Amino acid sequence: MKWETKICINLLAFSVVSFGGEYAVITNKQMKSLTRAEIKAIFLKKMIFVEDVKVVPINLQARNRLRNKFEKELLHMSFTRLKKYWTKEHYLGHRAPLSMKSQASIKAFVTKVDGAVGYIDATNIDKTIKVIYRWRD
Amino acid sequence: MYKLIVMVVFFLSYLNAESEYELGSGVQVGSLPLFVGGYLSLDYKMGEDSDTYRLNDIAFLAYGTNSKFSYLGEFEYKNFYTQTYAADKITTHQDRRLYAERLYLEYNHDENYKFKIGKYNSPVGFWNLLPINVLRQTTSNPITSDILFPTFTTGVGISRTSFREYELKVEFMLQNNEDLDDEYNSYEIDEHYGINILYEKDDFSLKLNGGYFHRIETASSDKSLYYFLLSMKYEKEKYQLMGEVGEQFSKERVTTPYAGYIQGLYRLSEEHIASLRVESYDDSVANIKESVGIVAYTYRPLYPIALKSEYQFHSIESKNQFIFSFSVLF
Repeated sequence: MKWETKICINLLAFSVVSFGGEYAVITNKQMKSLTRAEIKAIFLKKMIFVEDVKVVPINLQARNRLRNKFEKELLHMSFTRLKKYWTKEHYLGHRAPLSMKSQASIKAFVTKVDGAVGYIDATNIDKTIKVIYRWRD
Repeated sequence: MYKLIVMVVFFLSYLNAESEYELGSGVQVGSLPLFVGGYLSLDYKMGEDSDTYRLNDIAFLAYGTNSKFSYLGEFEYKNFYTQTYAADKITTHQDRRLYAERLYLEYNHDENYKFKIGKYNSPVGFWNLLPINVLRQTTSNPITSDILFPTFTTGVGISRTSFREYELKVEFMLQNNEDLDDEYNSYEIDEHYGINILYEKDDFSLKLNGGYFHRIETASSDKSLYYFLLSMKYEKEKYQLMGEVGEQFSKERVTTPYAGYIQGLYRLSEEHIASLRVESYDDSVANIKESVGIVAYTYRPLYPIALKSEYQFHSIESKNQFIFSFSVLF
C-alpha cells in the first residue's frame, strides 16, 4: 500500500472517530448499573422492576433520529419491527414506553424520577445523571 | 348485564379517544389504569364439499397496571354467525354467548419473579401465546396447538426470568380446579401442571414444555395425559422460521406419537407476506395420520389489519381447502 493511501485511510478513520456522534443511556443516580440485555428488557417492558424500584423507560418520539439509533444499537430492532412487537404486546396487556419530545425533557424526568431510563447525546451529560451505557455511530 | 357494561365502557372509551389514537393499540379510559381494545375476524372456507362463511371472533380486551399489580380480561363471541353451504343446503349457526377467554391478575414481585392467578393462555410453544387471527401468520392453526395440551390454564402461574446476555425464563402452570370457562379450551380439564423453559438470545428463541393434565369429560379411557413440546423461532427483519414438535401419552399408551410443524415466512415488503407451513401428526386416539402443506399470502395495509388467504394440501385429499379471512385488532 502506498504511503499516500495509508494517510488517507488514517485521516478517514480519525474523522469518523472525531465527528461520529456519541450517545448515552442514562438513569437516575440511585439506579444500579445495567447490562445491555437488561436495558433491552426494560425498553421491551419485559423487566418491570430493578431492585424493587419500578423502571420507567422513556423514548424520544417516533422517527426521532436518536431514537432510531438507540433502537438499532440496543434493541436490534427496526421501527417497523417494534411497531409489530407493540401491537402483539397490546393483546398481551402491555403498553409501549412513554415518549417525550426532547432530550432536555428526558434528562429532567430521569433526574427527578426513580427508575427512569432514557437516552441522550453524550454532549448533554452532566453530574445530575448516571450513564449506564455509551455507544458511537 | 355484564355484556352491556363491557360494551358501554368499550364504546365510550373509543368515542373519547385522543386524536393520537393508533389502530392496534387500544385506548385508555380517562386517566384510569384501564386500557380497552379488541379484535374481530371474518373468514371464508371453501372445502371439497362445502363452503362456510363465518363471523368468528368479536372480542373485547381490558387491561391495566397499578404499581406491582396488573390485570387483563378478554371477553369474546366465538362463531358469532356461521353459514354453511353443503349439498344444496344452507345451514346457519349463531352463538351469542360472551365467553371469558382470559381473566387474570398478575403480581410483579421483583425484577425476576412474577405470579399470576386466573385464566390465561398456557405458555406452551410460541403459537399458543398469540392465538388470534390478526396476529398469527395464517388463518388456520397448526394441529400441534390443538391436540397436545390444554390451550388455557385456570389457576396459578409462577415465573422466574433472568436477563444476562440472554433471557432465561422458567415458568410453572398449576391448575387444580375446573376451567373458568371451558367451552373453548382444547380439553375440558380439572388439573394441569406444566413447566415452560424459555431461552432467548437476540433473534433466536428456544422453548421446552412438559406437563400433565386430567380430562373430565371424555369417552376415551385416557383421562390422565402427559405432553412435551419443543419449539424454536428465529426472526430477522425479512423472514421468520418457526417450528414446534411434541408428543402426548398416557400411562397405558402413546396417544399422539408426534405432532409438529415447521413454518417459514418471508416479508416481500411491509404489507405483503408469503408463508409456507408443513405439518405432520399421528393421532392414535382418532386413528388419523396426516401431513399438510399450507401455502399462504397475507396483505397488511397496516399491521393491525390482515387480509389472508391460504390453500391447504392434505394427504387426506378430501380435506383440501382454501381459506380467506379479514381480521383487525383495535
